[in-house]
Amino acid sequence: MEKFNPESTFESTQEYFDLWLKTYQATLGRLVEMPATGPAREKSEKMMKVFSSLVSLNRAWMESNTDLHMVFMEAMRRVREKKAEGMEGELSPERYKDFYKIWIETYSETFHEFLKSGHFTSDMGRFLSHFIEFQKLNREVLEENYLKPMNLPTKTEIDGINKELYSLRKTVKELTRQVHELSKKS
Amino acid sequence: MNGLKLMGDHEKFKRGMEVFLKHPDFSVGTTPSEIVYIEDKMRLIHYLPTVDTPHPVPVLIVYALVNRYYILDLQPDKSVIKKLLEEGFDVYLIDWGYPAGADRYLTLDDYVNGYINTAVDKVIERSGLDKITLFGVCQGGTLSVMYAALHPEKVKNLVTLVTPVHFDTDKGLLHIWAKSLDVDKIVDYYGIVPGDFLNVGFLLTDPFRTMIDKYVGLFERLECEPGDMECQVRNEETVKNFLRMEKWIFDSPDQAGETFRQFLKDCYQKNLLIKNEMVLGGKRIDLKHITMPLLNVMAEFDHLVPNDASIPLSDAVSSTDKATLVFPTGHIGIFVGSKSQKEVCPRIAAWLKPRSLPDGAKKERAAPGRSRRKEKIPPPRKRK
Repeated sequence: MEKFNPESTFESTQEYFDLWLKTYQATLGRLVEMPATGPAREKSEKMMKVFSSLVSLNRAWMESNTDLHMVFMEAMRRVREKKAEGMEGELSPERYKDFYKIWIETYSETFHEFLKSGHFTSDMGRFLSHFIEFQKLNREVLEENYLKPMNLPTKTEIDGINKELYSLRKTVKELTRQVHELSKKS
Repeated sequence: MNGLKLMGDHEKFKRGMEVFLKHPDFSVGTTPSEIVYIEDKMRLIHYLPTVDTPHPVPVLIVYALVNRYYILDLQPDKSVIKKLLEEGFDVYLIDWGYPAGADRYLTLDDYVNGYINTAVDKVIERSGLDKITLFGVCQGGTLSVMYAALHPEKVKNLVTLVTPVHFDTDKGLLHIWAKSLDVDKIVDYYGIVPGDFLNVGFLLTDPFRTMIDKYVGLFERLECEPGDMECQVRNEETVKNFLRMEKWIFDSPDQAGETFRQFLKDCYQKNLLIKNEMVLGGKRIDLKHITMPLLNVMAEFDHLVPNDASIPLSDAVSSTDKATLVFPTGHIGIFVGSKSQKEVCPRIAAWLKPRSLPDGAKKERAAPGRSRRKEKIPPPRKRK
């Protein structure tokens, strides 16, 4: 798929975000990344990691959004072209269905091209990676600050129990099978 | 004129909403059945035969892990199961249930050499025969292929319906996307991978049709003049059919993490199955060990499992009795489309019937498919 290059008002949003990001990295970002000290350093560092991860997630989100916006613009351009070719004059309610058909087909085709492209695949991979990283850190902070002080089990502890249960089930099944085999022989 | 048209459309929408507001009662999976075995979340379902003497070799259907099995029995007039029963088969099906908790550690080995193997043994035990027909659907077909290669002595016939085995193709979006997924990160975080996570992927394969056009289409189909009660009944049926499908689409079980990890990595990312390099439970899966009769059925316009992903199976196995059927429909249409009832099931049944006698029994007249041919079913002629 050709790189979309429509005139876009979204570019200014992107520029604004880039400017914000640069300023953040030069100021608050440096404070966030700074090693924590004192009795609450572990908790504090984890909290700061969540914040930093949220910024990375926003960055990936903005990049994905920019690409998506460009695809929308391209789809809209194609719809305009097709409408001009096949539907002259005012759009009356009777002809609305024809327009809808053009719209849905054009948008589907244009997005299919994009969804098939390496551009989307890398966007999606990057966004998903940042999203999971953020969720993971967020969960750790939640566990650390709320679950542990209340003596409630954390995900890691539940996973440990589940693993044990899985392994026990497997052992029981294997032993049952062996007993069954032996009873058939005797 | 415009005003009248707008009023007409408004009426159509209003009548559609009236049907929704009545809370239409709809059910799925209504073919009479019994549960004959339960292990963890897995249930082995036996459908009650509808003929006095079913064909001796029973059919065990293995459905995918990613959706619910009742798409094969969505409603009485759209039911692969019912059709197979009417064709005289003794039908069993594995319901995988909804994985949770400890199931996150279940591996592909547990599914194939564990659950499927136990289900096969149970069906064998109940039938009194040595072998059964394994009927794999979608991802369930891939699991069935793995099973048939590892336990060929228990499989008399193998039927695969819209089944991927060759994953290195750029014909389907899922195949393209799966390559760039950081599977470890996903599984390590979620443990049990949410069904909704996968659903987003399925919806994204055609977002405007699956999230907009489908709903517009529903209201387009509701055409009634005020006071036309017969038409209103038809409307209700249309809405119920729609809701059945809607329920199925969004009834997505979560996925056992370790199974998801291995399936994505070994199949979608490394394409090991078709290369005979995949290992389950310490044993390498060699597709050449598949020697039983094979029927490979696919949908020509399948956007989830493109034909390129299914076709190579025929050449990868050692079976000499094998056939391929391609129907002009889509991935879902092959189960619930009108063709499914009229063409897909009868064609599968015709192939399967003469092969559903116990070993050593006198064979019926040879049915189509005793060759390596690939048969494409032509689309029906349009009515003029």
